[in-house]
Parts: sequence; C-alpha cells; structure tokens
Amino acid sequence: MTSLMTSRTKKPGRSLSQPRPGPLQYLVLGLLAVVFVYPIYWAVSSSLKPPADIVRDPLSFSLGSATLDNYRAMFGDVPIGTGFVNTVLVVAVKGAMTMFFCPLAGYAFAKYRFPGKNLLFGVLMLTLMLPTLVLVIPLLLEMSQLGWVNTYQALILPGSIDAFSIFWMRQTIAAVPDELLDAGRVDGASEFGIFARIVVPVIRPGIAALGVLTAMNIYNDFVWPVVAVNDESHQTLQVVLSTLAQNVTGNRVGADFATVWGELLAAGSIAMLPVLALFVLLQRHFINGILAGSVKG
Amino acid sequence: MTSGTLTPPRKERTAPAAPRPGRSSRRRPFLAPYLFIAPFYVVFAAFGLYPLVFALQLSFTDWKGAGAANFIGLENYTYLLTSEEFWSSLGNSAVMWLLIVPVQIVGGLAAAVLLANARLRLRGMFRVAFIAPFVTPLVAMAQVWIVAFDTDYGLVNHLFNLVGLPDVDWLQSTAWAKPTLALLFLWKTTGFAIIILLAGLQAVPADVYEAAALDGASRKRQFWSLTLPLVRRSIAFLVVVQTLAVFQMFAEPFVVTQGGPYGSTSTGGLYLYNHILASDLGTGAANSFLLVLLVFALSLLSVRLLRSRDE
Repeated sequence: MTSLMTSRTKKPGRSLSQPRPGPLQYLVLGLLAVVFVYPIYWAVSSSLKPPADIVRDPLSFSLGSATLDNYRAMFGDVPIGTGFVNTVLVVAVKGAMTMFFCPLAGYAFAKYRFPGKNLLFGVLMLTLMLPTLVLVIPLLLEMSQLGWVNTYQALILPGSIDAFSIFWMRQTIAAVPDELLDAGRVDGASEFGIFARIVVPVIRPGIAALGVLTAMNIYNDFVWPVVAVNDESHQTLQVVLSTLAQNVTGNRVGADFATVWGELLAAGSIAMLPVLALFVLLQRHFINGILAGSVKG
Repeated sequence: MTSGTLTPPRKERTAPAAPRPGRSSRRRPFLAPYLFIAPFYVVFAAFGLYPLVFALQLSFTDWKGAGAANFIGLENYTYLLTSEEFWSSLGNSAVMWLLIVPVQIVGGLAAAVLLANARLRLRGMFRVAFIAPFVTPLVAMAQVWIVAFDTDYGLVNHLFNLVGLPDVDWLQSTAWAKPTLALLFLWKTTGFAIIILLAGLQAVPADVYEAAALDGASRKRQFWSLTLPLVRRSIAFLVVVQTLAVFQMFAEPFVVTQGGPYGSTSTGGLYLYNHILASDLGTGAANSFLLVLLVFALSLLSVRLLRSRDE
C-alpha cells in the first residue's frame, strides 16, 4: 500500500488532475486527528494528576504536579501485576500456536492438491462466519466438564488456530512462485523443510503482520476471558480492568470519586501503553494486517 | 467470498510442455498436506463443532446448569420470541446500528477521500492518529468513557459548560446512554474504516480519473460515477463486518453501563450474557442461535443491497 502511494505521487499526470489540498482540508483532517488522539492523551495525563484535580479541573495538566499516586493506589487495589503476567503468558503461547499452525495450514491449502481439499477448505470458510457469541455458553460448559474453568488451557486453546489467519496466510503463500518450491524439492528438502526454509523467509512481511495483529487481538481479548476465568490468579489484564470498573460503578454511592477515577485512569493507561508503543514502532505491519482482512471481500 | 478469487492460479495447467526437471523427480506427497491442516480441524472439532452441537441440543432443554435437563421442544425459542426483553435488546442493537454504521461509512469515506489526495502532506501522521484508537484495548477505553462522560465531574460536560452549554446526563439517561456508547464504538473503529476505504480508493487506477477529467467530468461527478462504484466492495465489507460487531456488542455496555439505565443499553450481546449469569443456559443457547440467524440474515441482506446495483 505504501509502495502504491509513492509510485502514485511520482506520476506526473497525477498532480495535474488533483488539486493541492487547501487549508480547509488540513483543518478537517487535523481536527479529526485531535478527536482520535485526545482521549488517549487525556486519559494518560489525567492518570498522573493528583486525584482531587481530576475532579476539580478535568482540563488542566502540569508536569510539575505529576504524581504516581493513582498508580500506587491501583496496584494496591487490584491484582494488575498478575493480570499482566497472565496476559503475557496467553499472548505468548496462544500467539505461538497461531503463528506456527496457521501459516503451515495456509501453505497446504495454497500449494498442494489433495483429495477432499475443496470440501475441507469450504468447512474452514464456514467457520469464519461463526460468531464467538454462539460458542460462549457451550464452551463454558465444556470447560467445566473438563474441569478447565480457571485454567490457562481454557484461555489458550479455544480459538488458538483460527480460520481467518489460515485464509490470510493461504492468500499470501499462493503468491510464492512454485518454481521456488520445486527447486527445494530437487535439493531433497522434506515437505516441512520446504515450508520452513523456503516459504517462511519469502513471506516474512506477511508473517510479521500476522504476528502483530494476533498479539494485539489476544492482548485485547475480553469476551471469552471474562467468561472462562473468575478467580484472580488466572484473570487476564482486561478482566482485571473490568473488575475495577465494576467496583466503581457498583459502589457509586458514597465512593470517593476522585480516588476511584484516578485508579480507573491509571489502570486504563497502563493497559493501553504496551499496544500503543508496539503500534507506533511497527505501524506498517499493523496497517498491512488490518488491510489483509478487507481483501477477502 | 467470491469463489473466483479463492482459487489460486494453478501453474501446472498452463505450464508449457518444456521439460522441467523438478517436476519429474517430484514425488507426490500424500500425507504432508493433511498433517499440515490437521491441527486446525482438531482444535475446531474440540472447541467449535462439539460446543456448537451441544448448544443446539441445549437450546431444546430447560437445563439450568445443574440437575436433569428436560427436553422442552421449541419452548425456549417461543419464550424468547414473545419476550419483551429479547425484542428490546434487538431494538437497542438496531438503534446502535443506525447511530454507528451510516455515520461511520459516510464520515469514513469523506476522510478517506481527503487522505487519498496524492499531494497531501503528513499523510502518515494522520493515519497513525486515526488508527491509534483501533489498537487500544476496549475495556481500558470504556473506563475512560465512564470518567469522561460523568454528568457532574466529567470532561465532556466540563467542555460543554465552558462554551455555555448545559450539563448532559450522558450515561444516566435513557436518551443519551445509547449515543454515548455508540460514540465509543465510532471513536474506536472509524480509523479502521478509513484505512479500508483509503485502500479501496487507492486501488482505483489514476488514469481512470485522468480519462474522466479529459472527458470533462467535474470532480463531483467523478466521485459519484467513478469513485463510489469502485469502492463499493470496501463499503460492503465494512457494512458486513460492522453489522456483525454491532449486534454482538458486549464489552461497551458490560463495562460502561451494565445495560442500564432501565435496560436502554442492553444490547443483543449483553442480554445473552445475562442468561449465563442467571444460569438459564437452555434459553441462553436458544438466544445465541436466534442472534446468529439474525446476524447472518442482516449480512446477507447488506451484501445483496450493496451488490445489486452493479449487476
């Protein structure tokens, strides 16, 4: 996409047919950018204010009076450290499963002909249309039958090899020239060796995009973790956050607004900083990943 | 979803008859592809197909999570279809849909058209700003919404007062709770819509516009007769994806309003969750199937509506 844009700007005919954007266009886009970014800035900066100031003057912020009080209070209130560790663990294991099995299956669908392929692929595409919501109740019951409620495997295994990632990797791998694979066969590589040593290096950008998008999705996942886990030692970060919010809204009456709000904003900020940092560092991969979804239309 | 794009071109069929050394020595791997795809089907069978069949069975029983499950036929379905709460949860979702999808498509397209201008500077910066909300965790931002939209001490009413507007009861009034949650959804996902539409716009070859300009088509006319039909696929994709998302919306009301005030933000997704809380699992299973049927029907309908005009 970026290459498309740069090649476009170099075209001399293009500049003739398109007017230079005026100040109004910059103003509109600039305002829109502020609307999108300001809530994030506001949350992070407010979380560093003394609690009383959050309530008294929502707009002001001065670095001089910045404090970590809200963070200290929040750490004392909810097991956010445990939440972080659990989330990192789930992202690592579930992410690794996605990153290994989905490109492998995509490779099989892109480069082999085998009996039943169309039927199997059809089944795969059908599962894409299955909303998570329909599975929540029976999956929860299955977990309790297995004795897996409040376990890591309950958080990790369901959805660990997803149809969309396979479909995406299949599209990516289909573009790898067959001649490359044949060359590997001549050299006596095994079928898996061809995948690991020829296909994977060629589609590295696609794998990188799959990686960041998978990590983001697992990190932000909420619906299944909130159902599957109710004991504090297994809660993921997002679930810990939601319990904090429930405490706040549940105890509206008599609660010290300033303190609980400070904690909410501190928790929210600390939860979004890792993904935002990753996004700013790896934005090209994020954007490729987001766009991969629309190509299937 | 169209079958044409799904099948990759097969080199073997069109390959010239020239001898290819690799071809002859290639043994036909029989087992390998099956082994490569097997993990998906194993995981799907265990955590997709099995629960699905289980849920279907469950939806015809009165099981409450313990004790014996009695077969009660279609009673769960008829109960839901005649229940006021069920319909009002769908009604709430429908209102959310109206507040979100049209606004997002029109606004997103406008922003994408501005961004697509080849002579725009700072495009990369705008793009980062627009997508930042999309990557933030929903639960975290839902918490920020609670604080920012508080009636007495929130940021938004503070801003309103500064410009002389009165306080609005954002989250505690039935009139405003839905728009406030819709705003959270819009804030979080419009950047996603913008880059999808931008990619659609940029896939339109530049010379198409040049030819149109040479033919004397005005810029407005170029938009309606060239741009719009060419991004229709992107629009259709977005409508389907966002319809699915809006009708399954769960975390926003769960964290911000718990479905209140007076059930006004009890969406299809949240109402379903309440069955789990009440251990009314048979009804919950029936509810999920009804929701899925509705969502399927709506996405099929939107694909039809958005396609019919060019065929």
